[in-house]
Amino acid sequence: MNPYPSASAFDVQPGEPPSGPPYLGGVAGLGAGLLSLLIVLVLVTSGVSAAAGRLKNPGHAAQKPAVALADHAEVAYCTPQFKQVLQRVLHSCGLSDKTGRRGCQPTDVRTFANITDTDFNALFTPLKDRGGVIMFDVSGKDLDDGARQLLREKWEARRGARYFFIVARASQTGTSAKNRALSHERANSVMFFLQELTRDPDLDKKVGMLWLGEEYAQLSTEYCSWSTSRPGQKCNEDAINRTAFISWVDCRL
Amino acid sequence: MRKDFRIPAIVILAGALLGLVFATYSSLDYAAHLDRQLHDVHCSVIPGAPPQGEEGAQGCRAAMYSAYSAVLKGKLWGGIPISLFAQGCYAFFAGFAVFLLVAGRRASRSAAEFVGVVGLTPVLVSVVMAVISITQLGTFCHTCIGMYLASLLVAVGGIMTLWGASARSRGGVLLPIVWLGSLGVCTAAPAAAYAAVAPDHTPYLSSCGGLKLAEPPPGVLVSLPGNRPLQPALMFEDPLCANCKAVHLRLVQEGIIEKLDTRLALLPLDSACNWMLDTPLHPGACSVSKAVICAGPNAREVLEWAFDQQHYLLRAGERDQQQGYKDQRTTREVIRLRWGDELGKCVGSKEAEQRLNRHLQFAVDNTVPVSTPQLYLSGRRVCDEDTDLGLRFALTRTAPELVR
Repeated sequence: MNPYPSASAFDVQPGEPPSGPPYLGGVAGLGAGLLSLLIVLVLVTSGVSAAAGRLKNPGHAAQKPAVALADHAEVAYCTPQFKQVLQRVLHSCGLSDKTGRRGCQPTDVRTFANITDTDFNALFTPLKDRGGVIMFDVSGKDLDDGARQLLREKWEARRGARYFFIVARASQTGTSAKNRALSHERANSVMFFLQELTRDPDLDKKVGMLWLGEEYAQLSTEYCSWSTSRPGQKCNEDAINRTAFISWVDCRL
Repeated sequence: MRKDFRIPAIVILAGALLGLVFATYSSLDYAAHLDRQLHDVHCSVIPGAPPQGEEGAQGCRAAMYSAYSAVLKGKLWGGIPISLFAQGCYAFFAGFAVFLLVAGRRASRSAAEFVGVVGLTPVLVSVVMAVISITQLGTFCHTCIGMYLASLLVAVGGIMTLWGASARSRGGVLLPIVWLGSLGVCTAAPAAAYAAVAPDHTPYLSSCGGLKLAEPPPGVLVSLPGNRPLQPALMFEDPLCANCKAVHLRLVQEGIIEKLDTRLALLPLDSACNWMLDTPLHPGACSVSKAVICAGPNAREVLEWAFDQQHYLLRAGERDQQQGYKDQRTTREVIRLRWGDELGKCVGSKEAEQRLNRHLQFAVDNTVPVSTPQLYLSGRRVCDEDTDLGLRFALTRTAPELVR
């Protein structure tokens, strides 16, 4: 800005006293303008340079607060012991993606879980409201309408869970070998239905299967009060073990 | 008898100094954000006074993050804030006012005419910016209001100099051209200085990670195709999140949203459906998210309605929370009243719940941060700071077809 007025820019009437040198206004204006501009330039460049410095060397104060990452649910029943058993069973029995194996037999579970039958069952007690019990006919492996309905409901109530468990059993009627095979077939029936229902190519990575036959972790009639696929049916020790327990598990491993 | 220029000059000087102060606060606030961090902003009609809480600062943030706050945003991260031009302009008028004040009766008619005419330019720019504030941003920035007032003072002072100016001698013919040139130099100087020292943000653009899964499950996410889709985009949004609204508006204002083939993953920050939170940040967001899902081809309309009604919907959600309505019936009723029974029924359905759950599972599968909004282009996350001040700059480098 250079508002230097020429001599003719000053309009002095005859007889009026001049208020100072004719160039004073121009000099004062120029000085004030330059000073203002200089202050502006200093403030702007120092502000930008300071930000550039912080960008290059962010101090602790500039560190962004850690943001949680999206993850599966982790609820109160995920005790270290529960998670340990879960982890052993899942990893040792395989979710079939790595080992090519699918599911665990009673002896495997006994070995990997490394806990008593009662303690094993007790771990699943907190899943009473989350899970359900699919009931089968004597020597049967097919799902009835009630079973399909319950499975659908429980599957769709996934929320934040990572793993779905199928724990199939057989009653103590018949030989151990037969019951082992029968519980395996029951677990498979549930799995096949889920495959049909979801058409999910990654289903194997979500579903853990155990078939316990009659040899391990038999259920007591206490479990008759759980949500079952045949709520009207008489429930005794045989009936509650001709079943597949199903549930999403809200634990991170 | 000739009038003295002293009073108009004082008015101009007062306006120029006031404008200089407001414009400097505005520029410095803008420059502080060049470090890609969040900072407080000055937002008051009292120069330098702190804003009245975060709400008080919202108008200034909205203005700062808007497409109208700066020029050359594609060339320089954040662009060159227009307040810099205001600073230079007010510096010139401060000098010119001092000239009129000291020259007094010696000042010529051309000086009076110059300041009378050119002194209107700040107020004209203010009028344009005020109209933009009302029509595009829907809010006023208090610091900007300060600048509007300052420009008004300059204009009033300028007009006052015209009174009685005709009695004076014309003065040098070339002087107005020199003054105009000086005004141009003064106006451009702060912007040039800013551009010269502003840091290059290019290395930081790709520092915010990406998605683990290249493709979301088919049919799960909400499709929001623009009119002229050029680039697929994925967004994680919460319809009741204020930043989501701001980014959405920015994409609309910049004309970018129409060039995106957006797939929207809803990530409501509401513990009613989102297990990743212990307490709801945005109560009611679960039901509103389901409404967006249920809207099908009208999803964008419902989403924009939710953005528009955020305050009201959040209040409904808070009421649900206070009353212990786990089904969020108050929020659902608000949705039903606006969008009809069919959509209202859908919001309460298991299907909507499951679909929303798949959105949340998609977030888990990608281990994305539990924060909204998140914008991904070609699987790479656009950093938060590049979705506001640096949006145009980031897109110019990463997806130039979107800003052409």
